[in-house]
Amino acid sequence: MDVIVQVVASGLTLGAMYAVSTIGLALVYGSLNMLNMAHGAILALGGYVCLYAMTTLGLPGVAGVGLAMIVCGLVGLAIYHLAARPMLASRNFETQIFIATIGLGAVLENVILRLFGPQPVAQPLNLAGAAIVGTVHIPYQNILILAVAIAMMAAVALLLNRTRTGRAIRATAQNRDAAQLMGIRIGRVYAQVLALSGALAAVSGIMISSLSGLLPNMGGDPMLKAFVICVVAGLGNVYGAVAAAIVLGLLESIIQYVLGVQYSFATLLVLVIVVLIWRPAGLFGRSQVVRL
Amino acid sequence: MTPARRDVIICLVAAAALSLLPALVGMRYAITQMTVFFIWVVVVTQWNLVLGVAGIFSLAQMALFAVGAYATAMLGYYFALPMILAMPAAAAVTVAASVVIGLACLRLRGPYVALLTLAISQVIYLLVVNDTACFTNPPSGCMPFLGGVRGFSRFGDLGFRALLGSKWYIAHYYVGLGLAVLAVLFSIAIIHGPLGLAFKALRDSPGYAISRGISKFKYQLWVFGLSAFFTGLAGAFYAVQFGAVGPIVFSLAVLLFLLSMIVVGGMGTIWGPLLGAVLLMLADEGMRELGDWRDIGLGLVLAVFVILLPRGLAGLGAGLRALLARRA
Repeated sequence: MDVIVQVVASGLTLGAMYAVSTIGLALVYGSLNMLNMAHGAILALGGYVCLYAMTTLGLPGVAGVGLAMIVCGLVGLAIYHLAARPMLASRNFETQIFIATIGLGAVLENVILRLFGPQPVAQPLNLAGAAIVGTVHIPYQNILILAVAIAMMAAVALLLNRTRTGRAIRATAQNRDAAQLMGIRIGRVYAQVLALSGALAAVSGIMISSLSGLLPNMGGDPMLKAFVICVVAGLGNVYGAVAAAIVLGLLESIIQYVLGVQYSFATLLVLVIVVLIWRPAGLFGRSQVVRL
Repeated sequence: MTPARRDVIICLVAAAALSLLPALVGMRYAITQMTVFFIWVVVVTQWNLVLGVAGIFSLAQMALFAVGAYATAMLGYYFALPMILAMPAAAAVTVAASVVIGLACLRLRGPYVALLTLAISQVIYLLVVNDTACFTNPPSGCMPFLGGVRGFSRFGDLGFRALLGSKWYIAHYYVGLGLAVLAVLFSIAIIHGPLGLAFKALRDSPGYAISRGISKFKYQLWVFGLSAFFTGLAGAFYAVQFGAVGPIVFSLAVLLFLLSMIVVGGMGTIWGPLLGAVLLMLADEGMRELGDWRDIGLGLVLAVFVILLPRGLAGLGAGLRALLARRA
């Protein structure tokens, strides 16, 4: 029983962390058909900005998170204006933006490496102590992560469903041309989506680094996982991505318990390969009808 | 003169010129770097068949390269197979692996293919690195079946060290040159041949191509299988050249470097990837002094080229020629 509580608790924490960074990726793919390979570097940047704000500038944790969200949001905006916008009209946009963001991600990661060095650092934003449920210890940090993740997801859901901006984002994702004909400035929507995705990546990066420490290349693994989740859910499907993130987080902690940590990611990836072969558009993705 | 004949002649003339190089340049470092360059030429010309000519966004090519390298090392290490037999055997294994990957990606499109192939490479990498159980126990210490983090070494060579002594690297230069020439000729034959036509038709207008009776199933498996043979052979030669294989062949930095060559040179053209390989090897040498800045430079080169010159240097050349023709 204790084991089950422990496994479920760590699985939910993992799933919540993945969900926050996955939402950003899914939003970007849904509206721009863009896979942002610089996402991992933005994740790391968020963690480091928070560290810098709290240790060097001496700001409180909340300000650190805010600053990280602003900086990463601006980086997302920069990626839109420097890379995505000049290429939007080109025929091979999906391939080209993929390659371009791989390049930009490498640049960002190495800039972080130069600024902060290669040695791992602990994330100062951390809650000590643990809640005790029966005989099981659940660190406050995990509870905080879960709470923040739920708050972020609720905020994004509110934004998408209740505001004008959200409606514009959804309309653009559904049908770019129709949205444009209805007077939505899709350029602005794209910029907003990429900035939002950057800010979400910052939060996710801070959460991940508070558990595993900061490294310039820490974003690679979570990014690949976030993509895996997006693919399993069907690219661009935001709610499917949240569900898939929670399921995969739980699955990962179960596999870690049963088979051992070193096989968890490999097993997940094998699972994804099987899903993709069985359902090429993902679990929740609808197969598109292509007009010739 | 047909374009195919022109390309073959260019290739042979360049090969003849390059075969004189070891006689002119005595520096061992330059010759060894040229050998590495030939290995990358083989990989990018074959990757270009999948990525540029067939338009399938596969990132599995480096994993296939690694399969070739590892298969060679393992055949040599466990079965003491002579390298001259292990290399073609490894290439055959690579072809089989590639066809399986092609099957897995058959129903996917665009970015899904990229993610799936990236995931496959990552799975292979993780399996290799996380393999810690001892398979054999040689005097040098525990040896996992897949080599683990350390990888393989001392699995034999092509015999040039015994034959030529310290000059063995010159023999390897010619082996590399031979492989590169064969790979380029192979890609010329494919691109100008009926297979290339089918690949391009499926890339440019899948619906039309399929309705004209071009089977996507058949040709996708063909392009994955064909492009894997020389890639596996290049991996095998890489293992022999360095005398060691480790998980570094899976690293994202190497993948990025080779992808940049294709993108900078121009996807889907015969000479573009080659041109890109020359340029990036030179740039890499130039930036060697810069240390950490090197990766920043490479990333910038990749991004700037995709954004400003999406058709690469070869596309720029074609554009200029069209401009001149209009003026004339």
